[in-house]
Amino acid sequence: MSLLTLMNVTKRFGGLVAVDKVSLEIDEGELIGIVGPNGSGKTTLFNVISGVFYPEEGTITFEGRDITHLPPYKRAPLGLGRTFQISRPFSSASVRENVAIGAMFGAVAEQKTSVDDSLGMADRYIDMVGLGAYRDKAAGALTPVEKKLMEIARALAMRPKLLLMDEAMAGMNPKDIDDMVNFIRKIRDEEKIAIVSMVEHIMRAVAGFAERVIVMHQGAKLVDGKTEEALTDPRVVEIYLGQPSDQVK
Amino acid sequence: MKNTISKYYPLIPVFIAYLIMFLIGFSVPGMWQMVALLAFYCALGQSWNIFMGMTGYVDFGYVTFIALGTYGMSLGISYLYHFEWLGIGIIFIGILLALFLASLSALLEAFIALRLRGAYFAIACIGINEGLRYFIEGAKLWGGSEGLIFSGALMQALGREVANQLTTFWADFSVFIIAALAAFLNMHYMRSKIGYALTAVREDEDAAKVMGINTTKYKTIAFLTSGLLGAGVGAMAWGLKLGYVYPGDVFVIHYTVECIVVVLLGGAGTLMGPVVGGLIYGLSKYWLAIIMPGFQLLIFAPIIIIIIVAFPEGVIGLLKSRLRGTKYKMFIE
Repeated sequence: MSLLTLMNVTKRFGGLVAVDKVSLEIDEGELIGIVGPNGSGKTTLFNVISGVFYPEEGTITFEGRDITHLPPYKRAPLGLGRTFQISRPFSSASVRENVAIGAMFGAVAEQKTSVDDSLGMADRYIDMVGLGAYRDKAAGALTPVEKKLMEIARALAMRPKLLLMDEAMAGMNPKDIDDMVNFIRKIRDEEKIAIVSMVEHIMRAVAGFAERVIVMHQGAKLVDGKTEEALTDPRVVEIYLGQPSDQVK
Repeated sequence: MKNTISKYYPLIPVFIAYLIMFLIGFSVPGMWQMVALLAFYCALGQSWNIFMGMTGYVDFGYVTFIALGTYGMSLGISYLYHFEWLGIGIIFIGILLALFLASLSALLEAFIALRLRGAYFAIACIGINEGLRYFIEGAKLWGGSEGLIFSGALMQALGREVANQLTTFWADFSVFIIAALAAFLNMHYMRSKIGYALTAVREDEDAAKVMGINTTKYKTIAFLTSGLLGAGVGAMAWGLKLGYVYPGDVFVIHYTVECIVVVLLGGAGTLMGPVVGGLIYGLSKYWLAIIMPGFQLLIFAPIIIIIIVAFPEGVIGLLKSRLRGTKYKMFIE
């Protein structure tokens, strides 16, 4: 049984079809990259999976349970963690409190922890992302890259089975991207969770961490396959670079 | 265990402040009324702050709870005074009625208005407050616009002696109790899961939901707590103490604005803030009314504007950031 299954999921905003009959399956422990140009429906797909929007059509199942219309705060404890495209820290709270909030509310019911235990547990995840020196700093005062790392720690503290990372590498320099790629692989191996990371156009990063790539185009799933094959697929090359000139003639 | 207790250290200065106020009022002749007024502002600020300070939602209709609390007490006394065997029990029935009316309204308001955010929430709360006032007047409910006058009923039920003691001492004393209770609950919430959930709500409600926080539940807890404490203040400081209630007197937005001023002066979301704000506001209002009767609001408005522009975090907010990293930090919240 796969971890997450989407069946013909469609999300419309008025006349605009943001996600168009997308079906996909994600298994435990998979490392998946979702790529696609701006406006291809990646973020909406994430929002539909995490429950920010409900789809108009189709069903979403998580570990065999239908979660299509489950509110987001009930999805998180099932094992669905996510980070945001533009980091959304709880700015006035410290890094430690931010991560502790993830541990306190995001874990499955039987692993729910008290305030003190959550604060203690937060330290482990803060060290994992390498923010140990900033644990008492207000989250709002971190740099953008640190905020991304803090969000990852916060999501990991929820002990998810599936982690959705929205543009984890946007705006980073090549060194940070390489670190992040290694880091994503590391947390998959250590925490044994499936990670779906969304990347707009940094193909180097996708090729670095993903074992499987899903390419979105105009709301629909264009290609779904092994990283090498997906990234060299002529249709994918076309949406990013346009048609080769001899075909235009 | 020590750790658990030390989490509540910030309550110490708050309780000391209340104790000093009480002792001054109790021992210095002629000071009781002023101290009672200060306690009233502190208690209201503290109660209002539980919801506003923790969630960032500005409840402009807060006076609804105070008013319903007043009505609860008034109804209890007005309609039950002739059951002599109830004795002092009518006061407790009055409190229960106050809490019942306030929780009913809090849950209804939570169901309707807490779905809204920002200015829309504030406006919805004002609307509910005004609506309720005109409903009571229009439907001639509970005496309609003529209200309820029950100071005579209170004397008849409990005798002149007891009634006097109740209205001149116990009504004010219970405001102190409510203020202390509000401080304790505020502190307790800050240190428990509720506080963490509401911090998340205040900073980013949508992100909070994705983190697994049932935002509606935690907002409702804070809203209900805040409303019930306000109803308690209304029942005691307005209902029992004054012995009458008119809708036009109690459903007045002016009192909500006073809560806001008290909290902003002292520092929103802090524990000590409403106490300091209540003292500054209450004392200067009292003092200005003596030296320049009639002009106090005219003078007070610019003072408030200056203070809020100069210290947007309030007095305690400023103090907190100054004390960060020192050993005094654990006593200030």
